[in-house]
Amino acid sequence: MAFKHVVETERCKGCGLCKDVCPKNVLEISDTVSAKGYFPIFQARPEDCIHCTLCCVMCPDVAITIIETSDETPEKAMEAN
Amino acid sequence: MAKVLMKGNEAIGEAAIRAGCLNYFAYPITPQSEVAEYLVKRMPEVNGVFVQGESEVAVGYMIFGAAACGERVMTTSSSPGVSLMSEAISYIAGARCPAVFVNIMRGGPGLGGILPSQGDYFQATKGGGHGDYHMLVMAPDGVQEAVEMTMQAFPLAEKYRGPVMIMGDGMIGQMMEPVEFPEDLYVAPTNKDDWATNGMDTRKSDTKNIVKSLYLDPKVLNDHNLLLKSQYDRMKKEDVRFENYNTDGDYDALIVSYGTMSRVCKTAIDEMKAQGLEIGMVRPQTLFPFPEQAIHDAASKKGCKVVVSIEMSMGQMVEDVERVVKGKVPVQWYGQCGGEIPTPEEVIEHIKSLLNS
Repeated sequence: MAFKHVVETERCKGCGLCKDVCPKNVLEISDTVSAKGYFPIFQARPEDCIHCTLCCVMCPDVAITIIETSDETPEKAMEAN
Repeated sequence: MAKVLMKGNEAIGEAAIRAGCLNYFAYPITPQSEVAEYLVKRMPEVNGVFVQGESEVAVGYMIFGAAACGERVMTTSSSPGVSLMSEAISYIAGARCPAVFVNIMRGGPGLGGILPSQGDYFQATKGGGHGDYHMLVMAPDGVQEAVEMTMQAFPLAEKYRGPVMIMGDGMIGQMMEPVEFPEDLYVAPTNKDDWATNGMDTRKSDTKNIVKSLYLDPKVLNDHNLLLKSQYDRMKKEDVRFENYNTDGDYDALIVSYGTMSRVCKTAIDEMKAQGLEIGMVRPQTLFPFPEQAIHDAASKKGCKVVVSIEMSMGQMVEDVERVVKGKVPVQWYGQCGGEIPTPEEVIEHIKSLLNS
């Protein structure tokens, strides 16, 4: 099981509080600029996420959501069945 | 009312509505856009009007029009946008219309950057536009004060019949803090029938009101400017605001700092106090009228060796500080700009190096 960060890049102002608070160093500041001119965060190391959601709690703009993702592709799932 | 957690920009938008402002015209610009994003949703709920202008130049004149009609009106922008509005601000000041401008400052010059800066001090306090005019300029140091100043700005604009500016910066606009909206800060408009072009049917007087800034007769124009000057002199008497911090006892140095920068300085002052070093601070809450007497008195206190103007700019307010300290003690500048904000540690290091030199 892996966890994917969904970042609302138009709300993110790249303050980096989530990056600082992450115990697993999952997040990084992006080098692509958003429409508002900020450098938003992105999930650089998704495999390290432990779903503690500290980043979601810390984000002053409530811009981060974490969703569970399955490693299995539909083909693999069908083979297993 | 209970406290709510709000972003500075959104709180400024809500404060305007609470102050009875139902006309808001703006053009999006980072780091101010959230005011527009908030009010585009909120204005229809209170039967207010939001128009996104085609540029800041247009917005400036939308403000002029609404203000001339006696409506409470506000715009928000950031540094480059305020430059574009400067012409309209001069016209509004000349025509003596009350209007509220919010500048959520970003780094300049030119397009500069989008991060917090205080580089528009000269623009706000020394003109920006042409002619002998001033704006009452208020500088909040956080979201709560931004709310209170926004609510007070409308009655103040009507009191002096001119533009009032709230000087925030990207930090004030973007940070979230708990705020409340004090209901007693709402003051109903009182004098608009005396000057506004608000239609003859509802007005109590029968004289026609004309709003204009053109006076071709030099004597009349001179008299008009004397009238404006009398209002600025009245501001200096009645509406100078400042906060003293750690100035009750003796101190070795005095900091003058406003807005976001003053919050950093307060932390630095507290840390130095813990180390046994006493530093005082005067925080101007109005940049025009400038707290001249307060800074002069604080700088003249026995034991104060140096005054430092700490700004997120390359030394703008320091010129006013020098002017009001009048050579009593040396005046220094310290600061960074373009989105760099001096840390408390850097402030402490600088103050210590000044005192040791």
